[in-house]
Amino acid sequence: MSRRNACIIAGGMSKWGVREASLIDMAQEAGKACLDDCTGLKPRDIDGLLFASSFAGRCSFQVNTAPVIAERLGLQPTSICARIDVLCAGGSAAILLAKALVESGMADIVMAAGGEKLYTPQKWEVFYSELASIDHDWDAPNGLGLPPPFFALTAKEHMKRYGSTKEQLAAVSVANYNYGISNPKAQMHKALTMEEALGAPLVVMPLTLYDCCPITDGAAAVIIAGEERAKDLTDRPLVYLRGGAQAALHSVSANWPGEHLADWAHLRVAAKKAYATAKLTPDDIDVAQTHDCFSISEVIELEELGFCKKGEGGAFAAAGEIALNGKVPVNTDGGLLSCGHPFGATGLRQGMEIMRQLQGRAVNQVEDAAFALQHNLSGLNVEHTIVVYGRESVK
Amino acid sequence: MSIPGIPVLEDKYPVTMDMWPIQAKEFNRIYPFYENLKEGRFTTTKCAECGKVSYPPRVICPACYSEELTWVELPRQGRVLTFTEEMKGVPLGFDAPLIHAWIDLGKLSPVKRFLSRIINCPAGKLREGDEVKLVVFDVPAHPLEVKRDTVMAERVFFAFEPAEK
Repeated sequence: MSRRNACIIAGGMSKWGVREASLIDMAQEAGKACLDDCTGLKPRDIDGLLFASSFAGRCSFQVNTAPVIAERLGLQPTSICARIDVLCAGGSAAILLAKALVESGMADIVMAAGGEKLYTPQKWEVFYSELASIDHDWDAPNGLGLPPPFFALTAKEHMKRYGSTKEQLAAVSVANYNYGISNPKAQMHKALTMEEALGAPLVVMPLTLYDCCPITDGAAAVIIAGEERAKDLTDRPLVYLRGGAQAALHSVSANWPGEHLADWAHLRVAAKKAYATAKLTPDDIDVAQTHDCFSISEVIELEELGFCKKGEGGAFAAAGEIALNGKVPVNTDGGLLSCGHPFGATGLRQGMEIMRQLQGRAVNQVEDAAFALQHNLSGLNVEHTIVVYGRESVK
Repeated sequence: MSIPGIPVLEDKYPVTMDMWPIQAKEFNRIYPFYENLKEGRFTTTKCAECGKVSYPPRVICPACYSEELTWVELPRQGRVLTFTEEMKGVPLGFDAPLIHAWIDLGKLSPVKRFLSRIINCPAGKLREGDEVKLVVFDVPAHPLEVKRDTVMAERVFFAFEPAEK
């Protein structure tokens, strides 16, 4: 029996930002936006729910979150109903798992959703709660749970070894903010000039305000369905989940897999497997959503994903190769820098944008986009997750 | 005023866990690491069967799954490869400057490089290549149930400081 193909057919998100709403409220907003995106689909058609959220237990005191959300959305899953915890890559992990469930025949139509309520109930607590997000007993006691110092170290290393500049980092921020202007659900939702980016207040040297994504409340959801059901449910072009990978080679900083902090060996491992499963190469990718939690992250991802040579990610971005008319348009809906980053929801926002690009209905449309890739890093750069999409299935 | 049904909270918002490890032997099988640390020793586990030294310490060998592990010493001095000084947005429980360094423990160490915190060092003083040495300090104790009693469990942790002041 041949494996069936899985397709992404609909997606939606809540407004992202500092929200006057609970996790369960925002999950409903995202679920409704997702169902509104596919009028033929009814809640009871959905037989699986995966909900990606890492801080539901800590910040909402709600573990086993998935059945709560299924109940609020009027879903009655019979194949799977589970919460996924992969921090910043929870959304892309949910998509990969939904793909596997649908391809195996265990589920027919899965809602892959996710969200975080981080500002609760006292806003400052998030700076404390994030200390739970890394290898707790060994790195958290050094105050490393909040990402800026780690990515500042990474940026210093990249600048030292490869000559990357602050202007190159700012080029990433300016590109992504300006993509995000057309996304009303983005947290920042504002234009950014090079002058503003370079004159922004310091966060941790060399990173300034617009090099860093904000802390965000929000939710998002997409629908993954088997190819035959997808054809019944939508008249839009089908978007296939061609391949993917998730690599975790270490957990604690002492076991970092690269030669130095700007050498992301684990991303190369994930990319190699993702391209192989999708039967594509970096040159085939028409549009990408990469994990720009910091401007420097996107720079290194451009290199390790194979879009440019090692060390040239900054120059690649500054030369406009991530713009709509560049070699690989990247983060065309604003990315994490503009949209914000409710950890479990981010991968679903990326998947939704890729679906729209490949269906030809994105706001910042890449002409004739046929193949696309999404990437998340998670934790203190411990896992890399990639999903590869196409308008054709893998033959 | 007590909170009906949750008397243990005593009107306080419950911050139930923190970033410091729970180190007591009643809770943690690698408690010798912390006992050694209290004596100023930086240690980890070595497999008695295959010889692999692992960091952080653990209760099985990740290479051969043996449970026969012994404690060995790690270097207490290293060299700063890269560092950052965080002045603003420092997490609760830490003070600015919060200095993080990527430290090289040397070729002979089973642990090559890792991230740690540099303390006892003013902002602007540290340089790449500086030698730093282990420093052990007390962190807040926590209540621990031992049989029918609640005792305060003392805790320590470590960072690095400039070798030459």
